Amino acid sequence: MPDALLTPELLRRLEQFQLLAARRAKSSAKGERRSRARGQSVEFADYRTYVHGDDFRYIDWNLYGRLEKLFLKLYEEERELPVRIFLDASESMTFGEPRKFDFARQVAAAIGYVALSGFDRVSVIPFPDLGTDAPAGPATRIAELAARGGLRSVRGKKSAIPFFQNLGTLTAGGTANLNEALRRGALEARQAGVAVVLSDFLDPAGYESGLTALVGRGFQVDLVQILAPDELSPATFGDLRLVDSETGALQEVTFGRLRMKAYRQTVQNFMQRLREYCKARGMNFFTASSNTDLQDLLLKQLRQAEVWG
Amino acid sequence: MHFLAPLAFAFAAAIPVVVVFYLLKRKRVVKLVSSTLLWQKFLAETQASAPFQKLRKNWLLILQIILLTLAVLALSRPYFSTKAKPAQRRVVILDASASMQATDEAPSRFEKARAEALKWVDSLKDTDEMVVVLAGPTTEVKQSATSEKAALRRALQGCTCSDGPTRLLPALRMAESLVRDLDPRTGPEVHLFSDGAVPELNEFENKALPLVYHRVGKTSNNLGITALDVRANPEDARERAIYASVANFSPDSQQTDLELLLDERLLETRPLTIPAGETSPQAFRAKQSHDGVVTVRLTTRDDLAVDNQASIVSLLPKPVKVLLVSRGNRLLEKALRSVANVELAGATDLTDPAAGFDFVVLDDVTPSVWPKGNVLAIHVVNTNWFEGVRREEAPPIVDWKSSHPLLRYTGFDNVQVVQTLTARTPSWAVALVETPAAPIILAGELGRQRIIWIGFDILESNWPLRVSFPIFIANAVEWLDPANARSGQLLVKAGDPFRLPLSEPASSAQVTFPGGTTKSLTLDPSANELVFGDTYKSGVYRLRLGTNETVFCVNLLDAAESNIKPRDELQLGKYTKVSATTTKRANMEVWRTIATLGLLVLLAEWWYYHRRTV
Repeated sequence: MPDALLTPELLRRLEQFQLLAARRAKSSAKGERRSRARGQSVEFADYRTYVHGDDFRYIDWNLYGRLEKLFLKLYEEERELPVRIFLDASESMTFGEPRKFDFARQVAAAIGYVALSGFDRVSVIPFPDLGTDAPAGPATRIAELAARGGLRSVRGKKSAIPFFQNLGTLTAGGTANLNEALRRGALEARQAGVAVVLSDFLDPAGYESGLTALVGRGFQVDLVQILAPDELSPATFGDLRLVDSETGALQEVTFGRLRMKAYRQTVQNFMQRLREYCKARGMNFFTASSNTDLQDLLLKQLRQAEVWG
Repeated sequence: MHFLAPLAFAFAAAIPVVVVFYLLKRKRVVKLVSSTLLWQKFLAETQASAPFQKLRKNWLLILQIILLTLAVLALSRPYFSTKAKPAQRRVVILDASASMQATDEAPSRFEKARAEALKWVDSLKDTDEMVVVLAGPTTEVKQSATSEKAALRRALQGCTCSDGPTRLLPALRMAESLVRDLDPRTGPEVHLFSDGAVPELNEFENKALPLVYHRVGKTSNNLGITALDVRANPEDARERAIYASVANFSPDSQQTDLELLLDERLLETRPLTIPAGETSPQAFRAKQSHDGVVTVRLTTRDDLAVDNQASIVSLLPKPVKVLLVSRGNRLLEKALRSVANVELAGATDLTDPAAGFDFVVLDDVTPSVWPKGNVLAIHVVNTNWFEGVRREEAPPIVDWKSSHPLLRYTGFDNVQVVQTLTARTPSWAVALVETPAAPIILAGELGRQRIIWIGFDILESNWPLRVSFPIFIANAVEWLDPANARSGQLLVKAGDPFRLPLSEPASSAQVTFPGGTTKSLTLDPSANELVFGDTYKSGVYRLRLGTNETVFCVNLLDAAESNIKPRDELQLGKYTKVSATTTKRANMEVWRTIATLGLLVLLAEWWYYHRRTV
């Protein structure tokens, strides 16, 4: 875990961005996002006939002067945008050089920072849940639980420092169930908003039902698939017996340089299926190797895809 | 069940190799990975999960198909043939004479020739036939016409080299008869594997014989004993004289020691220097107290060992006991007495079979009892001998057989006869002297009895006054003496049969060979002669017959055979010459090449498989 998740330089540049939500914010809390709710803001929305008891301050007196009828000026209510970041903290994320989990935390920190800067509510949901048999001992477990609690709902730019600290405290381990985590997250959310899923998507059970649940709940979903360089092009050859870090499943394979092309094709096929799935459901999909430049992903790819702008 | 190529079972040795390959367990490296999901997908995509899949370009597959194709091709045993020809017959004549034992080709000329012949067997097409003829002292068909290569190989492997001279003529005649009636378009061939050290083949005249002469042999570094004889020393009757000829067939002068042994005891060593191509006659004198075996031996080591030693049985001379039955014939008596070592007894009639005498002379006396031993009968008629005896007056002598040992150094051109008895030549005798009508002197062997019959009374002719008469009598004494007959039979050329007259019937005999091995012979009790043909090895043989032991010697003693210089040409008859061929095998099956290719493909596959995993 690097000392600072993001460099000050990067933070400064991220401050210029704001998350672009295609949908109107549905949060009940006030924010800086346009919403369908009518309320107090500077953005005019509509007129309405005055009824008894309305606030005089909203009567359009100019209109009364012309028509001698009382109309009420309605303004759009600006509300906050809930941003839920689903962070894969399973055992498989601990692989790679640099670790996929570290890269994922950096992306989460960046998105979270942009959201906080835009007065949006940020929730980071690491999954799987912290097991009772955390290997690091009870002290770390308590710190971890505290950090997870602190990340459940963060608001305001001033909360950025503890937000980063809590993110840095998180550890990865256990067996992930992506579908279940996403479904639960979709159900738990009071209002839909932006959902960012940071994972390697290497779940034997697949990802479809979880993503469908998010979309069905009304989330705007952004996916960032993070893969280790070794997963994209393995560097170990020969007769191998592979052990799955999460399930412990064994897979015997004979691999050599001449089959590298076929393996890469397999990886591309896997990503292409995910990409097509996302495209069909209006989700943004990004893929990144854990050793790629973070700035390239954040400042170019996400911006071009209009995740933020 | 039969196998055409049982040697192919040696390939079974590859089975353990395959098992060993399978014993080599693939050691897998255990590796912890984030997830095996991608690997499962990878394997699912590259391996066949469905019963059928799209055929992908896979080098392993291609190599295995090539391998299988080559294996099938090899099993079909293909060969190249331009035209469909009828079966071709090849006759292989393998020279098995003594000269083929020469070691100038390693290990010997015979082995080299056999190896060459085996190569020709390999090159035989499936439909072709081959005959294997072994030409030693006797000609033997080792394998009649067959296309079974295993049988041909077996026949060739079973051939052994003899110590005797080559009799190539019968072998060529046999080959001629084997290919004579074949369609010439099928191209029958006679392959002679020889060094060319063969006697003259002037009698063989066949230009059309498709003879291919494969010459073996390189050099001719050989000294050989080409003649050996032992006699009483004419100057001193107590001594024996041994005559030997040593010939040098090497291209340069040779030095050697000639050793004389009596019963394995060294008597004398004589250093010799013989110029190239020369023959050195040597005479030894030795005292001998008992019958024994005289051996002469060359001490140098040369290419051919079999002619470096020769043995002969030397029997001490015994007085010849002669009984002259005559009414008085001084001329005859004088002629008999003049022959050395004759003990002459006289009688006027014969009343017993005269068993104590070596032979009996019947001079114009018909005996009361006919002798059982050898007889010189003069002007006597025994009706058991022949029929049709007639009397003839003053017949001219027109012919005599000067090649017969009895007529050695004699002539009848100045002999006149007043009257004579003539008889038709019986089957047991040969005519020695003939008149236009019938022979007047006959000689032959009737039963175990040697008989010389002279039809005329010598006193009624001028023959006793001629020089030829005492010479004839001397020759007759030598010929009729049973001891002489025996000693002559005790020296046999290798490959020739040994003959022993049997004085009484015998049913079994035992022969001890030079190497010490023994062999029992079963004899026909009615036979009056023992013939033993297994004399292919030179040396001293011992024949035990009842309580008697007879020693006889088998020697090469053949200058043509000792001259081991390989001949580039063979003269067949007057007009035909056959040059040594340089042709080697004609065609060869290609399955070996294909099998080798298959092996290479297999290795390539193995290499590729390993490269893929590294």
